[in-house]
Amino acid sequence: MSTEMVRAKDVSIRKTSSLDFKESKLVSFSKESSLESSFRVYQDGKVGIYYHIGPMDDEEGYAKAAANLVRERPYPFTLETGKRARDKREKVMTDEELRATAVSCMKYLTDNYPKFRFEMKIHGTEQDRRTINDLGMDYRHQDYSVDVGLIFKHADSKNINDGYFQFSLRTFDETIFRRMADLYLANYEKEVEIPEELIIDTQYYGLAGRVGNYLNGEELARGTSLLTGKIGEKVFSEDFTLEHDASDGESWFSTFWDGDGCVLENDKLVLVENGVPKIGFADKKTAEQYGIPHTGPAYHNFTDIPGPGGLNLRIKRSDKTIKELLNGRYAIIPLDSTSSGFNEKGDTTMVISKSLLYDGDGVVGRLPEFKVSANIFDIFGKDFIGVGSDNPITYNDKQILYRVHRT
Amino acid sequence: MDYNFKFPKDLYADVRIEEWYQIWLNQENGEVKSDGDLSEVGAIVRVFDGNLWYTATTNSLDEIQGQLDDLAKMATPNPDILENEIVKSYEVHRDVRMNYDGENDLRKVTRAYWKGMQDAYIEKCVDPEIKECNFWSCGISGNHRVKHFYSSKGAAIAYDDQCCNLSMFYGYTINGVTNYGGAYFVKMTAPELLGLEQEIIEKRDAYLDYAKNAVDVTPGDYECVLAPIVTAMFTHESFGHKSEADFMLNDKTLRDEWVLGKKVGSEKISICDAGDMLNHGYVPYDDEGTIAGKTYLMKDGILTGRLHDAKSAGILGEKKTGNSRAQSYHYQPIVRMTNTYMEAGTDKFEDMIAGIQDGIYVKDVSNGTGNSTFVMNPTLCYRIRDGKICEPVRVHMITGSVFQTLFDVDAVGTDFELFDSYTCGKGGQSVNVSAGGPSIRVKKLAFS
Repeated sequence: MSTEMVRAKDVSIRKTSSLDFKESKLVSFSKESSLESSFRVYQDGKVGIYYHIGPMDDEEGYAKAAANLVRERPYPFTLETGKRARDKREKVMTDEELRATAVSCMKYLTDNYPKFRFEMKIHGTEQDRRTINDLGMDYRHQDYSVDVGLIFKHADSKNINDGYFQFSLRTFDETIFRRMADLYLANYEKEVEIPEELIIDTQYYGLAGRVGNYLNGEELARGTSLLTGKIGEKVFSEDFTLEHDASDGESWFSTFWDGDGCVLENDKLVLVENGVPKIGFADKKTAEQYGIPHTGPAYHNFTDIPGPGGLNLRIKRSDKTIKELLNGRYAIIPLDSTSSGFNEKGDTTMVISKSLLYDGDGVVGRLPEFKVSANIFDIFGKDFIGVGSDNPITYNDKQILYRVHRT
Repeated sequence: MDYNFKFPKDLYADVRIEEWYQIWLNQENGEVKSDGDLSEVGAIVRVFDGNLWYTATTNSLDEIQGQLDDLAKMATPNPDILENEIVKSYEVHRDVRMNYDGENDLRKVTRAYWKGMQDAYIEKCVDPEIKECNFWSCGISGNHRVKHFYSSKGAAIAYDDQCCNLSMFYGYTINGVTNYGGAYFVKMTAPELLGLEQEIIEKRDAYLDYAKNAVDVTPGDYECVLAPIVTAMFTHESFGHKSEADFMLNDKTLRDEWVLGKKVGSEKISICDAGDMLNHGYVPYDDEGTIAGKTYLMKDGILTGRLHDAKSAGILGEKKTGNSRAQSYHYQPIVRMTNTYMEAGTDKFEDMIAGIQDGIYVKDVSNGTGNSTFVMNPTLCYRIRDGKICEPVRVHMITGSVFQTLFDVDAVGTDFELFDSYTCGKGGQSVNVSAGGPSIRVKKLAFS
């Protein structure tokens, strides 16, 4: 005898207006609107899933999902319920406002930095994410941001491009754009020497993500993680604390609920505390499969069952500013760099083709190309300096300081 | 073709409609991780008034006419639009090229067929006796696309393309460290994915040997031989991107640096790009409606051509080449490569190896990037000592100067291969390409 079918739907609506500049001139205005729906029906420990792009009648979508029960995708877990809504939208710009702002930003660049050629994209993106089910779940997250990406090239350079910066704001502020442009361009032409001690100043999401991968519960259980057998052991710096943070304050187009429909207590999960990995993270299926605690989060999967992931990683900030952490030393802001990626031992090599030298107050000049190496356990271990309490540079976002070594 | 749009007066407009079908089936360590398929239809509508492009996308084909009308209201009517340099150069073709039908059409391949293929590869290529293997995955996927292009000048084109992908990857854990490696194939039809067991097993065993025995390279400059798959990446990253003309349009420094007729490499090297080859970078008509052709970028070491869209060709006074491509209907086209390769030479692979006293053979590579310094990330390397291939060596990164390395190639092999397993990223867009070449010997590259 079959159990009753429970229906659920995941929806993502995204609207974007974009302005594109090439060779410092506005060349196009684009509008895009997308609707993605994941229809799911749960029955007898299985789930049928139908993913559709574009408008679709709910009954048709659920019928197609029910037809996909033949694929026997397993989902024998308790379905969640709950109601919560989060609206992080601030100033939503009209197309006319966005265009005027974009043109004004480019005019600032061309007026003040005529020796550079610019390619710029500015988007205004609005997103509405929602999950509902027959058990009464209704979770929703709405967000809006203006995102700027700027590529610049100096007139005398033989490179295709010389550098890049980007940033995103919920309420666009042109003074931040100008400040960032001045920071990256004002002293670009001044060549300086590579300092003895190499301290990188950059956003940390990619690096944190690597550590996050090592804490994937499935990888730990299989024995394929470099942190297998090291939970509870002091592996990183005392100053390094890493957590998954889905709270209102740290969300950026990210949901507070995960792919299993779970919401964490305080929206957080501590993964590394004062240098000690505390736990591997696992969704419901991974937890059951390997006999490990179900911690969440699970990544959202519109086309299949969820798995471990969907992390929104945050490193605990120091109580010192970037300048205080530098303590009289220089930091390097990479503009154009290529990494080998992290190999099986956690080693990496980077060619830093173009970078700027920062003295804690401002950029003093441009560095020549050089190559460095690092190891992920040292980056967050002996070479970890910290995440500043402020965001003076680097895309107006949190920034990490860590040492690397010349090769 | 079925569509009949009312294009706005005194403006140029085009419509690109794409119908996508995708399937995927992935197993890891005996567990089905994903199993699904997807059909999607979308369109991008573009209107140009001679000054600005206005674009919109939609998943409802009924809305295309409405989008054309709305965009036209935003634009400034231009009675002379047909005399605009770019618009004037747009070609008008009316053509249908459907290459995949009957049993070649992957949309007709059943799920049972894909599952049977996958299970057969798992049975033959996963060896439970290899105790170091903590992880394996077998993935099968396929994409089929039908593209329609209509323009206000009268172009009406439709063509299809597809690819079928197979991957077998292994994770070998030795002393707490897991090395990953395997094989990845891209073919144009499902039956072409059959019969690859031997290649997969060779890669499986090579990566196991690498995991067990590779020693770290001493960083430095080495004479080296690059296998065809590595030459392909080298060609793409070190030279291909520099051939995309949109980066130099109003840049005097770059135009002086890359002037046609300049010697930019060894006379042994010839490189070309061809969109009409039925490979991963197949583009019989680009996304501006220009017919594809073969473009020599370098002939016998001399810079002979560039890759263009209508705008770059017009500004530089060169012929259009059919290289204006967009990842999908979500994007506007920009200048991209298609099928880019170094032509075969006359040198034998054995002679290249024999001629090296102390060097490195680079057999496989995962990815790379190119600016003035190009970078490749190798996955399988071997020391060459006294003219023989010896022990595996662990290398993080290979770098070289674009301006110098092409001159440092002193042997170009006869063993040409074209690889469809490439995608290329530029400007936030990823497109399918193929890349090819023979084995080559390079006097010096930096290994670290």
